[in-house]
Amino acid sequence: MHLSRIPAGMRYYVGSEARLRRAVEDAAMSVFDGWSYEEVITPTVDYYALFEHGMGQEEAQRGFCFSDNDGRMLALRPDVTSSVARAAATLLAERPRPLRLCYAASVFKQQQQSHAEWRRESTQLGCELIGAAVIAADLEMLAIAAEILSRLGLQESYCITINSVEIFNGIAAHLDLDEPSREQMRRLIDTRESAELQRFLTSYRTSAEERGLFARLTQLTGKREILNEARAVITNPRSVAALNALEALWSVIESVGLQDTFEIDLGDVSSLDYYTGLSFKVFVRGAGSRVGRGGRYDSLTANFGRAEPAVGFVLDLDALTEVVGREEFSLSGNNGREVNVLSGQDIAATLAAAQNKRENDERVRIEFGQ
Amino acid sequence: MITIAIAKGRMQDDALTLLARAGLRISEEALASRRLALVDESGNYRFIFVKPADVPVYVEHGIADCGVVGRDILLESEADLLLPLDLGIARCRIVVAAAEPEVMQRDFGMLRVATKYAKVAGDHFGARGIPVEIIALSGSVELAPALGLADLIVDLVETGRTLKDNGLSIVEVITESTGRLVVNRASYQLKAPAVTTLLNALEATINGATRT
Repeated sequence: MHLSRIPAGMRYYVGSEARLRRAVEDAAMSVFDGWSYEEVITPTVDYYALFEHGMGQEEAQRGFCFSDNDGRMLALRPDVTSSVARAAATLLAERPRPLRLCYAASVFKQQQQSHAEWRRESTQLGCELIGAAVIAADLEMLAIAAEILSRLGLQESYCITINSVEIFNGIAAHLDLDEPSREQMRRLIDTRESAELQRFLTSYRTSAEERGLFARLTQLTGKREILNEARAVITNPRSVAALNALEALWSVIESVGLQDTFEIDLGDVSSLDYYTGLSFKVFVRGAGSRVGRGGRYDSLTANFGRAEPAVGFVLDLDALTEVVGREEFSLSGNNGREVNVLSGQDIAATLAAAQNKRENDERVRIEFGQ
Repeated sequence: MITIAIAKGRMQDDALTLLARAGLRISEEALASRRLALVDESGNYRFIFVKPADVPVYVEHGIADCGVVGRDILLESEADLLLPLDLGIARCRIVVAAAEPEVMQRDFGMLRVATKYAKVAGDHFGARGIPVEIIALSGSVELAPALGLADLIVDLVETGRTLKDNGLSIVEVITESTGRLVVNRASYQLKAPAVTTLLNALEATINGATRT
């Protein structure tokens, strides 16, 4: 075993790339701050049980686990939201609502969902809005995500897809699907297997026309017209309520002029057990997989003894840095600043000169003699 | 421009024929060359030709937006991709085959299974609680039982000829496999109009609609 070897999925950042990464982080944190989100720093190591309840078993199992001295299972945090939700229900229970919290924190996964996500340590830029069920809270999330992407110079190259998981849930309940069938339908929609989805639905009381329309709906993404098409096939009350909420959301998106970068994607059913209403994904040209995701998770904090509505999202700092770096977009940093090179036999005088320059916040570099 | 990764080998000719019928034509001259990346006559599509197992890799990383590859490869790769279209080409089956089918009923010793599809084979026997030893090979799997390396094989079968010639017969069919169109999740959103155009053209071709 060579000491020079680095574990799979881990990396260094050095020099201009590290500076760019820091600048991307700062840009996001300043947007969060601008929307009155307070920073929260959560423990890096926590009980595995927290994440199991917070993210679901399947996701939590992707983490790095080890045991505490008393034998209880610990994990390197695979997400931050679980921990924030616990704090909201306990430590911050008495604070006035809504709570607005944000973070830039590393998360660790031993095994990623996609082979393209090779990193096992990545940094999430995230925010959570806890204690507000209104549609305005959902919109605030979308607006903040859009603002961060714009500030990074990506306003022409990002796309945010929105959906409500309640549309699927309503259909599954309406068809009276048992758990394995529900998962099968979810998977067929998630991977856009339109023909197989239609075949699957033949065993339920549906007409061929309905099946065709429904399969088409979940395969396409689009703007408002998707909702109109959906109303023609989806008529159960639970799904219709979700469609109404999505339409209200879409109307505001249109009225603030964001409709070009947003898409409605009824086929986004990837995190059904986690989200309870709005769910969204962030894509950026130049990144082969999504760079962020978010949504409403109204049932999460109940795990920690206090049920309240919540919505949040995360962006992947490392993926964003890669895209921004490739676009040769320059964020302010030390890059352009002149450096004062100081040297001399008299080390006291050199240090004093350096301190003098630093008082004016100038950049210095001391050259040592041989 | 949309980049499409095509699995080289048995899939390639069927895939190019189907794509040409859907309007994505490559000039004879380009096809005759040995280049591994070609642009179609419309200039809207770039084709890259890679080993079948590499198609999901290129598409999952978003280097190729779409790919044409057999379901057998996808089952084995566990790639996180969209699978919007069954192209119906290169139809075949993944089967369990043996020289002596009664070996399945044997009540002593672990069954040894030679295969290129270690995951598919492991899942198949695992789901039924049959403990097996998987022996991963990269080709000529049909030889393994005759030489005593394995009791069974799990392999892709088109006509069954190779099996028969090597004294093997099918014990059971695990699943069917056909050529699939796969799409990168990000490309599906970011290049939605172009991807949809391609999907519609291919779907119309498969459903036998005439194109002008």
